Amino acid sequence: MGTTEKIREIAAGLLRDGKVDVVIGYGPGTLPLRSTPLFARTVEEAERLIWDATCGNNLAVYLPGRKDRVGIVVKGCDSRAVVQLIHENQIAREQVFVIGVPCAGIIDRRQVEAAVEREIRAAREEGAELVVEGDGWSRRFNREEVLYGACRTCRHNNPVLYDALAGEPLPPRDGGPTLVEIWEKKPAGERRDFILSEMARCIRCYACRNACPMCYCTECFVDSSTPRWLGRATDAGENLFFQIGRVLHLAGRCVACGACSRACPMDIKLGLLLGKMNKDVLELFGHEAGLNPEEPPALNAFRPDDPETFLLGK
Amino acid sequence: MIIRKERVNDFLNGLRAGYRLYAPVQTQAGPVFAPVNGATGWSWPAGNTLKSAKEVFLPQTETLFTYRTSLDGVQVEEARVEGRVVLLGVRPCDARSLTMLDKVFAGEGVRDPYYTARRENTVVLGLACNEPCGTCFCTSLGGSPFGTAGCDLLWVDLGDRYLVRVLTDRGKALVEGRPEFAPAGDADLAAARELEEGALGRMGTVPVQGVKEKLDRLFADPLWDRVYEKCLGCGTCTYLCPTCHCFDLTDEVIDGLGVRLRTWDACMYPLFTLHASGHNPRPTQKERFRQRIMHKFKYFVDNFRETACVGCGRCIRYCPVNIDIRAVLAEISAG
Amino acid sequence: MKNPYLPLPMRIEKITVETEDRSLRTFSLSFLNRADAEAFGFVPGQFAEVHVFGQGEAPFGIASSPLVRDRVEFTVNRIPGGVVTTALHNAREGDIVGLRGPLGNGYPVQEFEGKDVVIIGGGFAFTTLRSLTWYILANRERFGKLTVLYGAREPGLLLYKDELAAWQKRDDLELILTVDRGREGWQGKVGVVPAILKEAAPSAANAYAVVCGPPIMIRFTLPVLQELGFPPERVIMSLEMRMKCGLGMCGRCNIGHKYVCKDGPVFTLAELSELPAEY
Ligand SMILES: Cc1cc2nc3c(=O)[nH]c(=O)nc-3n(C[C@H](O)[C@H](O)[C@H](O)COP(=O)(O)OP(=O)(O)OC[C@H]3O[C@@H](n4cnc5c(N)ncnc54)[C@H](O)[C@@H]3O)c2cc1C
Ligand code: SF4
Ligand code: SF4
Ligand code: SF4
Ligand code: SF4
Ligand code: FES
Repeated sequence: MGTTEKIREIAAGLLRDGKVDVVIGYGPGTLPLRSTPLFARTVEEAERLIWDATCGNNLAVYLPGRKDRVGIVVKGCDSRAVVQLIHENQIAREQVFVIGVPCAGIIDRRQVEAAVEREIRAAREEGAELVVEGDGWSRRFNREEVLYGACRTCRHNNPVLYDALAGEPLPPRDGGPTLVEIWEKKPAGERRDFILSEMARCIRCYACRNACPMCYCTECFVDSSTPRWLGRATDAGENLFFQIGRVLHLAGRCVACGACSRACPMDIKLGLLLGKMNKDVLELFGHEAGLNPEEPPALNAFRPDDPETFLLGK
Repeated sequence: MIIRKERVNDFLNGLRAGYRLYAPVQTQAGPVFAPVNGATGWSWPAGNTLKSAKEVFLPQTETLFTYRTSLDGVQVEEARVEGRVVLLGVRPCDARSLTMLDKVFAGEGVRDPYYTARRENTVVLGLACNEPCGTCFCTSLGGSPFGTAGCDLLWVDLGDRYLVRVLTDRGKALVEGRPEFAPAGDADLAAARELEEGALGRMGTVPVQGVKEKLDRLFADPLWDRVYEKCLGCGTCTYLCPTCHCFDLTDEVIDGLGVRLRTWDACMYPLFTLHASGHNPRPTQKERFRQRIMHKFKYFVDNFRETACVGCGRCIRYCPVNIDIRAVLAEISAG
Repeated sequence: MKNPYLPLPMRIEKITVETEDRSLRTFSLSFLNRADAEAFGFVPGQFAEVHVFGQGEAPFGIASSPLVRDRVEFTVNRIPGGVVTTALHNAREGDIVGLRGPLGNGYPVQEFEGKDVVIIGGGFAFTTLRSLTWYILANRERFGKLTVLYGAREPGLLLYKDELAAWQKRDDLELILTVDRGREGWQGKVGVVPAILKEAAPSAANAYAVVCGPPIMIRFTLPVLQELGFPPERVIMSLEMRMKCGLGMCGRCNIGHKYVCKDGPVFTLAELSELPAEY
């Protein structure tokens, strides 16, 4: 049984038995290389659920503040968001039925689009290959090579928390250097110029924030009017201030799902900023968000041996 | 008229004396309109631009005026919109969207001086779509890949040359007497017609007939509970949309100088309508999503007898959760 | 082309603390430029954006009479955490502010001519009704009977107390004051506005009713007006929405296809019933 069928079976069962009110999963998208979040409330609707390498959205974004009982389809990274949200009391453990999916990586559609330089009219997976087609042409990719960078080095491809697993656990990836590891070796000036040029593109739509399951504050600092932290003008400086504020607020909480970068219409490489912060938190505090329901976020915990270089200038 | 591709550079260089040029400039994420010098540094985009042409007329951030206060008064300095602009490579849907923005900002009654001045100072050089994208549905909304509304000139790419349709006096002034242009022959016109038929043949259709009448009675329909649910309220659809025109007005003080800023804003955000009392007439994303659809397909029609969607497909392409307005329209039609 | 975004410079001539809780103050503004004063004309019910430099703008109904040409008055409720209302409450006499307006449609005073007018106000929403009352009093012969019913939670929360006292003495209007809770020495009525309206029962024949007040008062007043026989076309209301431009352009104040800033804020009940109940 394929993963799609397995998800459908679990979801239909949950809905039939009245164990949940809704199953949030993925349905077929309206564009090639796209899927779309699907809210299934009936057994019939559960028949439309799918799983493939385009199921990029982190559906945990729909959890905070829910009152109903919900089944949710999660990849490895998404499951970490669920753990973290439970930890932060945004959803109760009893309320969620987690349908875990071992994830072999999500296709970076922008990378594919850039490679073919033409409009893609259809796409499908064939074994280890991705086939894309346009008007009178078609092209095959090794699927592995068109995954998101973060997926290629993902160490948490199996869900860390689940009530049912739709598929067999996958072997962990050995990774190789992450994009952040490569990037942080560049000279400071180069990194700064790169970030500023990225920020100059930002249109402050806040798709990154809104797609992020951990950005659930009822009043985001960017929206506060008294005091007004952030001006409304969109220039590289203000935009960078927004992202720095966001990144810092996600310290020890970001689960590295990449939802923010994927949502960004301006293709801004947010993953580098967040990845760097995640790496620092791991190195300084030995903590990764959303892995262990028992362990508090790094910045919520104090240990006598926590590094204090920023305080003492050591 | 006809201009051979190798002469375009001369033509543009000739314009630089009297105009600033804006054209689609490639960025990491896709082409956007930006100032250019002549024919280099940009290219006619294959599909449509990532951001629409509206930002040339309604920039995302704009200073309306600055002021300095003193004990006995205030000196207000109005920002001036100056200089003539030629805007190159605007797709017909975007050009048509300008005629809709005109109704809001430069219609009967009070006019927006900044927008109006930019419209008056800008020559819109349209570019016909020989190869519409899969997300394009302009023809369902009264537009066309070869449409001329909002264009001063429409250029049709004939391979080694452009056929140039002169549509307004402003467009005429740009090309008249210029040595780069030659009269178009029958073969040119026939080639353009063939391309136009080809483009029209590729367009998908979206059921928008009767949507307005449906919406007249669907305000309280349970349909909205379904279609909005996955919406993240990010506003990407509205910022990229060529007809969305909502904005915010705020004050900033920079080194003692007061600045009244106008910035894009959107009905997809909760703060957009939050009253000072704390009451919000659009408390959830459902009402906000409905507002976006209603505004485009009902309210704008009520007010201006036109649908405020040109079918450019941007909201479809860039919505992070793949909410497809064509599917929403189909649901409304069926509703 | 006149730039509708530019503020007229104004001086705060006088600040009056209106209510005992000090949350409402009336700001009397004068024009710094004579020409602006001469060009500024408005209809009762219109509003304007008051610009506190460096802070921003907020819309307020014009509370003064249109016949007073050199002053424009606003009565402002301080919103806790509200940027502009707080800045205004912190302002002092002599300070310079900006004014953008008049905006909106105003009350249909022409239509009122030859008719009785029943003005019903609650709380601090009495501002534009004060403007309307002064306007009618100044053109008294053009209108029929004028009834003003004004209620507040308690006597200390009524606005414009001196003027109310003066109006009490006039015989060309009937002023009915009411409070939810009376106190010693209170001469007016005790009871909520809808109940007092029912009791006063003004004639609906050949009359217009103008209603402004908190949502709860409106909700219970409308049925009373209906009972009294006021047709929806002759019940006039003024709405509030979050506003920025005041010009029908920034897109935030619509109810259905109507922009409250441009097509309103004044609507008849008949017009409103054509629009969605929520927005
Ligand atoms: C036509 C019209 C006429 C009016 N007439 C009057 C009148 O005569 N008298 C009168 O007192 N009022 C009147 N009002 C209401 C008045 O306009 C508002 O009270 C005023 O705009 C509040 O402005 P503010 O800057 O003080 O508050 P804001 O700072 O705009 O907001 C105050 C509150 O709103 C919320 N809020 C707003 N923006 C944000 C944000 N970015 N982030 C978080 N929270 C936010 C917060 O709760 C905050 O405390 C009228 C309104 C209209 C539309
Ligand atoms: S999604 Fe991208 S463009 Fe939008 S606010 Fe975030 S970084 Fe900026
Ligand atoms: S910030 Fe980005 S990577 Fe981190 S949890 Fe949110 S969506 Fe995932
Ligand atoms: S919607 Fe029509 S006009 Fe716009 S880019 Fe597509 S084909 Fe061209
Ligand atoms: S782009 Fe999509 S998710 Fe974002 S506000 Fe628009 S419809 Fe909602
Ligand atoms: S306040 Fe801008 S449209 Fe009404």
